[in-house]
Amino acid sequence: MITIDELKQFGANTDEGVARCMGNEEFYLKLVSTVPGQKEFTVLSDKIAEGDLSAAFEAAHALKGVLGNLSLTPLYDKVCEITELLRAKTDTDYSELLKQISDLNEELKLACGK
Amino acid sequence: MKRFRTISNFKKRVLIVDDEDINRQILGNMLSETYDVDFACDGKEAWERLNEDGSDYSLILSDLLMPVMDGFELIEKVKADPVLKAVPIIVITSDKESEVRSIKLGAADFIKKPFGMPDVILARCERIIELYEDNTIIRSAEKDHVTGLYTRDLFFEYVRQIEVHQKTLDMDCLVFNIDHFHLVNEMYGRETGDAILKKVADTITEVMEEHASLACRTEGDSFYLYCEHQEKYEALMDRITEMVGSDQGPAKIRLRAGVYQDADLSLDPETMFDRAKLACDRIKGDYTVTVAYYNKELYQKAIYQEHLIENIDQSIEDEDFKVYFQPKYDITGDTPKLRSAEALIRWNHPELGMISPGEFIPLFESNGLIQKVDNFVWNKAASCIREWKDKYGYSVPVSVNVSRIDIFDSKLEEKLQNILKNNGITEKDLMLEITESAYSDNADSLTEVANRLRDRGFMIEMDDFGSGYSSLNMITTLPIDVLKLDMKFVRNMEKDEKSLKLVELIIGIAGFLDVPVVAEGVETESQLLKLKKMGCQVIQGYYFSRPVPASEFEEFIKKECV
Repeated sequence: MITIDELKQFGANTDEGVARCMGNEEFYLKLVSTVPGQKEFTVLSDKIAEGDLSAAFEAAHALKGVLGNLSLTPLYDKVCEITELLRAKTDTDYSELLKQISDLNEELKLACGK
Repeated sequence: MKRFRTISNFKKRVLIVDDEDINRQILGNMLSETYDVDFACDGKEAWERLNEDGSDYSLILSDLLMPVMDGFELIEKVKADPVLKAVPIIVITSDKESEVRSIKLGAADFIKKPFGMPDVILARCERIIELYEDNTIIRSAEKDHVTGLYTRDLFFEYVRQIEVHQKTLDMDCLVFNIDHFHLVNEMYGRETGDAILKKVADTITEVMEEHASLACRTEGDSFYLYCEHQEKYEALMDRITEMVGSDQGPAKIRLRAGVYQDADLSLDPETMFDRAKLACDRIKGDYTVTVAYYNKELYQKAIYQEHLIENIDQSIEDEDFKVYFQPKYDITGDTPKLRSAEALIRWNHPELGMISPGEFIPLFESNGLIQKVDNFVWNKAASCIREWKDKYGYSVPVSVNVSRIDIFDSKLEEKLQNILKNNGITEKDLMLEITESAYSDNADSLTEVANRLRDRGFMIEMDDFGSGYSSLNMITTLPIDVLKLDMKFVRNMEKDEKSLKLVELIIGIAGFLDVPVVAEGVETESQLLKLKKMGCQVIQGYYFSRPVPASEFEEFIKKECV
């Protein structure tokens, strides 16, 4: 399972995340390890590809909540960015932002999978 | 002092509604030490859980954006439910716009995402639960369960608050009362009584809808209304009376109102409403007016009456009340013969001196205290009858007044029987006078009581006959043994032809009913002779004697004995 140090390296604000989990590191890490598998990542890229920005917004918004609560800062920041664009139904090329999110998620997944 | 809930062991239940498992788990982990926590994935599941048997949530924490049923719809459903609306909802959100919308829909508070620190969230949950519980307790105590209006204490509290915040508004205080409401309860049952109270409350609320106002029910059948000043209330009262009257079932009620206008805010609310009540009480039993306005004379009269009310018990104890006797003479023979006497109350007040019965009898009749006076008279009269029997071997029947309220006293017969027993006298010794107006007001119930008393052997005299509104048809069916002619006919019969004719007519009616007529207020020989000629059998009045104390009355007995 991923460690606090690895998460720190990833850029997560682990102090805040753990505090939110009542100081229970194990519980925090367990929750973090479920993040890469969140279906919303797939839904987000699929819905953008389909042009359904409303559905994509819902997925991004849901992810934003979870990532924020776990203080996974780098991912959270990117998801916030895409959430606001989608909220405004901005007609733009999302592929770069989606790739950054996907890469960060992949990085987290690798760390969790070790 | 610690609050009960902080020392109690039982855990309150909290429902967390969020479609994201991670969020549910984080919140659940924060709250589970303090609360029993349940979870739902969306509004629909939450709604189902809330409606499960025995679900008693103290708090709902709900996300807003969720599939199936979102948080907004859940708030709307919960707040529209008469029971569930008491459960506070804290919204979980990251959007400013949603915060405002959810608070407007009825959410109690919101928690931002990402969540703040656990102790802050816990403190917020605790505070909201406490606030809602206190609010629920206050709400259940502030409303009168029969009418839905405020209870008296809360009403006065709100009036005080209005006074503090709305100093520039001219306000009026109104007190509404239902005449003889206790009789409605007795005659038609409490359910009908409650329905009438509710109808009156609803009507007051409806007609006052467009005015700034506040209402409560108090003392069973009184309604207090605090409202923006109006010049006149008669039209409002007519509307209320009409609306209440259109749908009140078998019992016909009469509402009256007392108004204290342009409330003097230096007075406390209770005093202001006492003034309105004073005005309201003044027209009790007066069917010609429905609204009375407070003024200074009324206040002074009330103070005087209050003084009398306060002193009644002491005066009975100290025997400041005296029973006087006025003889009644049988004039059918050549010489008048003492037939009986009427016992009359006099009050020699230690400070106020002799008080006219005209001042205190209507007052005590209006508040029921007349029963104390009546009881006093019955006992005194009975003991005098006994004393005279022992002293002179002579029986003088004495009539005593039986007031309206006595007639509805379920212990009336028992009380009278006890008096007879205690003094060793019979039903024939104590005659009962009931005024004609009491008959016409409550013919059915009165007939029933009078019949029972007659069956026991009491003689019933109808007092002040001619002053009330008995129909000829009613008179023939009433259980009476003696008709007492109202004294104003006798006084006027030599002055105007009409009174004379009426006296003839009434004596004729008595003849038809085969009951003797007693003429009251006879002062002159010529009156006596006229009455005798018309067939009147018994005379009472100054011609023979004014009412006298028992010791003086003995002189009349002595004469008879000789």
